[in-house]
Amino acid sequence: MKDKLTKEEVLHVSRLARVGISEEEIEKYQVELKKLLDEVDKIKEVKNYDEELLIAPYDHDTVLRKDESGEMLSNEEIMKNVPASIGNFVEVPVMIND
Amino acid sequence: MTKYLDLSIQQINELLKKKEIKPIDLVNECFERIENSDSNSFITLNKEEAIKRAHELENKEVDNLLFGLPIAVKDNIVTKNLRTTCASKILENFIPIYDAEVVRKINEKNMIIIGKTNMDEFAMGSTSQTSYFGVPLNPWNKTRVPGGSSGGSASCVSNRLAFLSLGSDTGGSIRQPSSYCGIVGMKPTYGRVSRYGLIAFASSLDQIGPMTRNVYENALLLNAISGHDDKDLTSSYREVEDYTRMIGEDVKGMKIAIPNYLVSDIVSSEVKNKLMEIVELLREAGVTVDFIDIEYLDKAVTLYQIIAMGEASSNLARFDGIRYGYSVENPQSADELYMKTRQEGFGKEVKRRIMVGSYLLSGENAKIYYDKALRIRDDMRKAFKDAFKKYDLIIGPVSTTVAYSLGEGLDDPLKTFMDDVLVIPVNMAGFPGMSVPMGFNKEHMPIGLHIIGDDFEEALMYKLAAFIEKKLNLNLDPRGGK
Amino acid sequence: MSDYKTTVGIEVHAELKTKTKIFSNSINGYGTTANSNVNVIDLGYPGTLPTLNEEVVNQAIKAALVLNCEINKNMHFDRKNYFYPDNPKNYQITQARTPIGVNGYVEIDLGDRKKKIRIHDIHIEEDTCKSIHHNNHSLLDFNRAGVPLVEIVTEADMNSSEEAVLYLEKLRELLLYADISDCKIEEGSMRCDCNVSISKTEKLGTKTEVKNIGSISNVGVAIEKEVARQKELLEKGETFHEETRRFDDKTNQTILMRVKETGNDYRYFPEPDIPFVRLTDEMIERVKKTIPMLAEERRTNYLNRGISLLNANKIIQNRNLSDYLNKFLDTDINLVIASNLLLGDIQFYLNKHNTTIDKTKLTDDKFIDIVKKLDEGKINNKVFKDIIDDIMEKDTTVDEIISEKGIKIISDPNAILEVIRDILAKNEASVKDYKAGNTRASKFLMGQIMKETKGSLSPEIVNKLLIEELDK
Repeated sequence: MKDKLTKEEVLHVSRLARVGISEEEIEKYQVELKKLLDEVDKIKEVKNYDEELLIAPYDHDTVLRKDESGEMLSNEEIMKNVPASIGNFVEVPVMIND
Repeated sequence: MTKYLDLSIQQINELLKKKEIKPIDLVNECFERIENSDSNSFITLNKEEAIKRAHELENKEVDNLLFGLPIAVKDNIVTKNLRTTCASKILENFIPIYDAEVVRKINEKNMIIIGKTNMDEFAMGSTSQTSYFGVPLNPWNKTRVPGGSSGGSASCVSNRLAFLSLGSDTGGSIRQPSSYCGIVGMKPTYGRVSRYGLIAFASSLDQIGPMTRNVYENALLLNAISGHDDKDLTSSYREVEDYTRMIGEDVKGMKIAIPNYLVSDIVSSEVKNKLMEIVELLREAGVTVDFIDIEYLDKAVTLYQIIAMGEASSNLARFDGIRYGYSVENPQSADELYMKTRQEGFGKEVKRRIMVGSYLLSGENAKIYYDKALRIRDDMRKAFKDAFKKYDLIIGPVSTTVAYSLGEGLDDPLKTFMDDVLVIPVNMAGFPGMSVPMGFNKEHMPIGLHIIGDDFEEALMYKLAAFIEKKLNLNLDPRGGK
Repeated sequence: MSDYKTTVGIEVHAELKTKTKIFSNSINGYGTTANSNVNVIDLGYPGTLPTLNEEVVNQAIKAALVLNCEINKNMHFDRKNYFYPDNPKNYQITQARTPIGVNGYVEIDLGDRKKKIRIHDIHIEEDTCKSIHHNNHSLLDFNRAGVPLVEIVTEADMNSSEEAVLYLEKLRELLLYADISDCKIEEGSMRCDCNVSISKTEKLGTKTEVKNIGSISNVGVAIEKEVARQKELLEKGETFHEETRRFDDKTNQTILMRVKETGNDYRYFPEPDIPFVRLTDEMIERVKKTIPMLAEERRTNYLNRGISLLNANKIIQNRNLSDYLNKFLDTDINLVIASNLLLGDIQFYLNKHNTTIDKTKLTDDKFIDIVKKLDEGKINNKVFKDIIDDIMEKDTTVDEIISEKGIKIISDPNAILEVIRDILAKNEASVKDYKAGNTRASKFLMGQIMKETKGSLSPEIVNKLLIEELDK
């Protein structure tokens, strides 16, 4: 069994998570991520289990909300933490397609 | 010098009622102690607002036992107009525009928030060393970790800088630091306390809970923060009971189980021996204590890693530098905005976990890992449920060892998970779990007893915890303990 | 060249008509000032959690019912994870594993036969922000973030642009008439993405997805252009990749947006913040009862009352007109005349004044009166044109308006006959021509009569009486 991920594998997960990593960090992640992945691989050892899922330990089903409107934010509140804005709009510093 | 922080909540309440003291006296004492302490328990203090609030309360009737008490809130619980950082650079300047439901509730009880406590970044860690704002210290020994992720909440209560605090527990983050710092910490049943306003780490595991100096005060604070919230669909509709109601009752006839895995070789002998003393004490009091097997416990960490990292990778995707938080300057593309903002904004533990979490959910892996983990998780809960058919409560140690030295195992990505090996199964299954001090090791570091209850059995857990607390009568003030 | 088989599958996103958003209680309405209908949940603020709007579930049940789907009574939501600036949480809450409806169909009429377009599934999800462009940057409006949507996914069952257009028209009609969505493609409340491929064999060819098509008729154009483009490439022996293209309605061409990444990795997993949603039979029955008369039933009713298929379809395309006409289904007035009025002068008036019938002074009684007067020949269309403004704007009755305008109504056939005889007497030459077999002469005489009576008579009645008189 290999003891680290390939450089490409590290770059792939870095892109999946949209977390940039520097050249110098890659080697460190090759080892660290591999350690974590080996640990989660232990799940493959478990053979006996039934098909039912536990998504979360809910004690009830969803109770639906009435279709009635509540308070909304002022533009001032919306913009309080926004890094960049123009007029009423939140600005994305780059151009995006729809 | 006044020493209100050494008095019990009941004593403080009497003084407030008799108007011998005012809330501002309590607030002043807290800030004086905080400012004279090097514990780094807090990321942000709420001094100005707290003083204002204390003065406002002077004209109000002392309507409940928690009235006027200064409380510390973990920094992953949002507080309107009070900086909330999650101990991360990415939220270093984040000022929430709404209050968490628990914050609304503690305000309703007329408690006073004195500050936001230090923690592991985004609650990912078991030592509070991943905080962007430096590690909070363990009051029992400043060279040791306070535990985590609610390290600041544990350390400030233990150090008597605040009467009470709120923490959050995804995989032991209330119980383990409570054990390391010698206080009482409760992770309630999933759904007991609203998560609205708790910055999500792993939504199906997270739960807010009280961290206090003793069992009674813990139950009181749980009374205050429990209850259904329409804003959280996972919040339970079960009526809130008085969690103090069974405190003081005789424990004779109770049936308690200890899973063999929780006293296996992974636990240090000093912790195991302390637990055996408790077993003796309980048996003498007429309690049945059996050792049993609960399946899948040894797989809990693996399940936890898959589920917690998977959910976290999705929950933390929103930190992208567009609507709030740190944002890299002049990106050339949306991808660069994301990659650089998150590279610079998150610390290494967080980055590791969201990368692995993203991987575990990608393509076929979602079936191989995530779906399978949810299936085994269901089986594990059923195994616990079977045990609760025969036993009132389950006990064990909270942690395999006492608090260890700062810096130890920092580069081992697995260490932090293994620290929580004994407490993680409780989050996976949704049950309530608490830590109550059961003594010290020979270096005089506190050791916590883990009490696990069936769903919504918090009152019964407090009954056992209060019995042990009274029986042991430990001195849990680190300043008087030396 | 012509032996390529075209295969089309369509995904439609339709915004649901509700007061509030799907996962938050801010107002569902994005025609207003940018970022005015927004709360912390819509912004994806840390710590916020979703709640689920009852009306969204009702609307989606309704949609599943009208699309003949099996309803998933134990449904759950999933997170679709992808990073995009218009996606506030960088995950979208949708239904991947347990869509509310599966295995449905929509029946389209191909003239000579009917065809069922199978619905693979219908699922509930949230809309993203609207983005607009400004100086090489994008600006976000969160009013649209969290607007409830259903996505309706067909099997690849359509084999031509015509079938695709028929399917979309039928689907739009169903959603519109069940009050599920207002289906305005131009405003984005209904959006169509088409997957198009061509092949000479049973094996499907490489498909391309065409997005952002601004009207149903343009969907037809876009599919044709895309089929032609693919044919040309294949004929040249070129291969192409799965890609997403956009339809440009100025050039009528599809334009490459992006080549699809292999196996789009959306990292779906069950949404832990929303417990299971159980739909009971009672709930479904209750929703079923709220479904108004659908287009198909309306069409049958109209045809039974003599309205042409063309006009029936025109009426049905305009929900307000159809609802208005339906008020008179239980009366015995002539619905052919009623529908002609609605599609003609009344619609013209409404468009010109940018209003709706309920905002005018046209009462049901007035409408019945007019239809009867036209039916009985007491007035004709020209008179109606003269008085329509007053009809729509005044409280007075039709008779009062007619007399105010000084219009003489000659409804007694004897009086009409008198006018006819008078004209015939004055134009003996033309009468002779007619008797000699020049039928065109009657047209001239007709014109003279209409001139004399200032067009107030019903031409049909006059013509009938005139011919009778000439043939005596």
